[in-house]
Amino acid sequence: MKLRLRLALTVVAVTVPVVAGLSLAQRSLRLRSQEEVLEASTLAQMQAGERERCEAAPESWTVRRGPPPREPSRPPGGFEGGGSAPDSEPPSENGPGGPSGQRPRPDMGPPPDFGPGRSGRPPPAFAHFPYDDELVSRNPSAPVISEDVRQAVRSGESAVARRSTREGRAVLDVLLRMPWEGGPCAYVLARRVEGPGAPVEGIPPPEVLLVPLLAVVAVVVAVGPVVRRVRQLTGEVRASAVSRYQQPVSVRGNDEVAELARAFQEARAEIQSQLSQQEAREQALRDFLANTMHDVMTPLTVLQGHLSSMQQRTGRGEAPEPTVLASAMGEAHYIASLVHNLAAAARLEAGAPQVQRAPVDLNAVIARVIGRHQPIARQRRISLESGVPEAPVWVSGDVTLIEQAVSNVVFNGIHHGREDGHVAVVLESPRQGRFHLRVIDDGPGIPEEERSRLLERSFRGNAARTRGLEGQGLGLHITHHVAQVHGWTLSLLPSEYGGLEVGLEGEVTGG
Amino acid sequence: MGDRILLVEDDPQLGAQIAEHLRGAGFEPTWWREGRRLTPEGMPEVSLVVLDLMLPGTYGLDMLKALRTFSEVPVLILSARNDTLDKVRALKLGADDYMTKPFWPEELIERVRARLRRPSLQKADAVVELGPLRVDLQAHEVSLHGQPVELTRVEFALLAALARRPREAVTRQWLVEHVLDPEREGTERTLDVHVSRLRRKLGPQHGVETVWGVGYRLVPGDGT
Repeated sequence: MKLRLRLALTVVAVTVPVVAGLSLAQRSLRLRSQEEVLEASTLAQMQAGERERCEAAPESWTVRRGPPPREPSRPPGGFEGGGSAPDSEPPSENGPGGPSGQRPRPDMGPPPDFGPGRSGRPPPAFAHFPYDDELVSRNPSAPVISEDVRQAVRSGESAVARRSTREGRAVLDVLLRMPWEGGPCAYVLARRVEGPGAPVEGIPPPEVLLVPLLAVVAVVVAVGPVVRRVRQLTGEVRASAVSRYQQPVSVRGNDEVAELARAFQEARAEIQSQLSQQEAREQALRDFLANTMHDVMTPLTVLQGHLSSMQQRTGRGEAPEPTVLASAMGEAHYIASLVHNLAAAARLEAGAPQVQRAPVDLNAVIARVIGRHQPIARQRRISLESGVPEAPVWVSGDVTLIEQAVSNVVFNGIHHGREDGHVAVVLESPRQGRFHLRVIDDGPGIPEEERSRLLERSFRGNAARTRGLEGQGLGLHITHHVAQVHGWTLSLLPSEYGGLEVGLEGEVTGG
Repeated sequence: MGDRILLVEDDPQLGAQIAEHLRGAGFEPTWWREGRRLTPEGMPEVSLVVLDLMLPGTYGLDMLKALRTFSEVPVLILSARNDTLDKVRALKLGADDYMTKPFWPEELIERVRARLRRPSLQKADAVVELGPLRVDLQAHEVSLHGQPVELTRVEFALLAALARRPREAVTRQWLVEHVLDPEREGTERTLDVHVSRLRRKLGPQHGVETVWGVGYRLVPGDGT
């Protein structure tokens, strides 16, 4: 439901009962004042000489036309003091015997409570009928007093009012006890008959009905600017979403709409930062894949070249060259290591949730790493040895990542090692609760400035992948990252044998 | 006749290669080309199972689970997925070892051998015999070709430390800390001096190897 419609309906729902209630209250006030006015004017007229006239000719007495009594509390409460023929409502000429059944003329009667000037309706007619103590009238056209009115009067009430409808016109009868005893005019029944076309009782006048309508119009007009601003904000938010939240929304003013705009601005900033982070990650991944293709395809091409030349030689009946064979095996080994590293890098880039922690036996890890690289080391005539404590050294971590971290260092040692060189993996638990894993070689080593550069935190992503130090980068980068993830320290030092000593140190678990 | 090995590998080329290498190494492989529901009756008598995790029909881990309900035969898992959860699950289900593809055939053979050798290594022997060398760890007696060899306390402690883990390298640092008298000179250089004295006493077939970068290792001195 639209805001305006909802507000308009709410206004209608609130004002209609209020207006109805007020109309009811007003009506009951009006009716009450009619009774009071009729009562007071009749009493005043009777005391102002009408008693004598009535007692003189009770069978034909009517009230003489007099000055209109004013209603005490309400301006429209004018009362017609003019007499009316008994037996008929319209007031007539002064004096008894005036023609009955005659319509009152506006110029004759005083303005009634809803005078013709205001509503254009004819004024009400009045009639008076005398009754004696027994509530019997000598006027033959006087209405018979009903039993309940009699009882009310006898019980001591000085005035009893009754309402009825006669020929579609509202009739008010007030039976008054006169301030004297006896005589044919001890009681007077004053009757007020509404003019034809008088408003049906209970229906509020049209101007009252206008109130809800006006309220609705006022609300609709007042809500207009708010709705406009909400619409504008909606449009701006949509436009912002289309622009991938680049475009801001305008914040004007200090009200709830402005607060909403501000909240959206905050949400937009948050979304933007996440979007840009995601884009950066995606870009990194794209670069990563592109470089990976290059990194894998190059050794694969070399391998294919080796296989092709071996095939040509065997086709000629010659034995394959041992160096070509060794190089082919080395390339295949390199590709395998590279693909494992890429998988590890992908998991490390994805963040901590991808790292599965479980107890890991470092002794077994080292045995597997030695096993993986031994065939290539043997072929290169590099001795690959390991020394581990007798009891398994348990750590908590991701076995795949840890194995890859150790494997990378060993791979580098073999890859860069000289013929007849050495690579050794030593695992020790020198202090309680700590392990120290060292990979030592007697290869060319790494100059100091290069070593510190290799371990810089920012040294990651593509920079690590360049073939600086002939591809040392990616493997060591992953080892570094794995160490960080596990809370270990990685150190690069010159080994006592002239090569490199890579150290990993961390906490052991109970196992 | 070598040990019988059950190989479960769906890839025909890789399966054939592995079977051939196992045969070449003196084993007797039985090759299943697909995963099967393992039952005590349908299980061949083998010393070791080489099980590929990614098999059509049955997931390798399910086979392992079924196997472990009735057999303690060592299982070596092969997996192309270098996935930590797979490994952790496999070890929990009772796998003894796993290898990630790609691997060199020699590597596989080494691992199979190591796995088959393991039970005999786990015995805490009081007497270690390696080639001509015999070390009685409890009686503190050493003999070579049956001839007793007199060793100092430190020399015997050194030899015993190596003999307890034959063919495995023991780090110099460990030896320094556990063999040398901590009250007296406890440097790696001292250790080297004791080692050279021990070698001299044991003669040319001493079997005490220097392991580059690590320490020392006891192997059969006659090369067996």
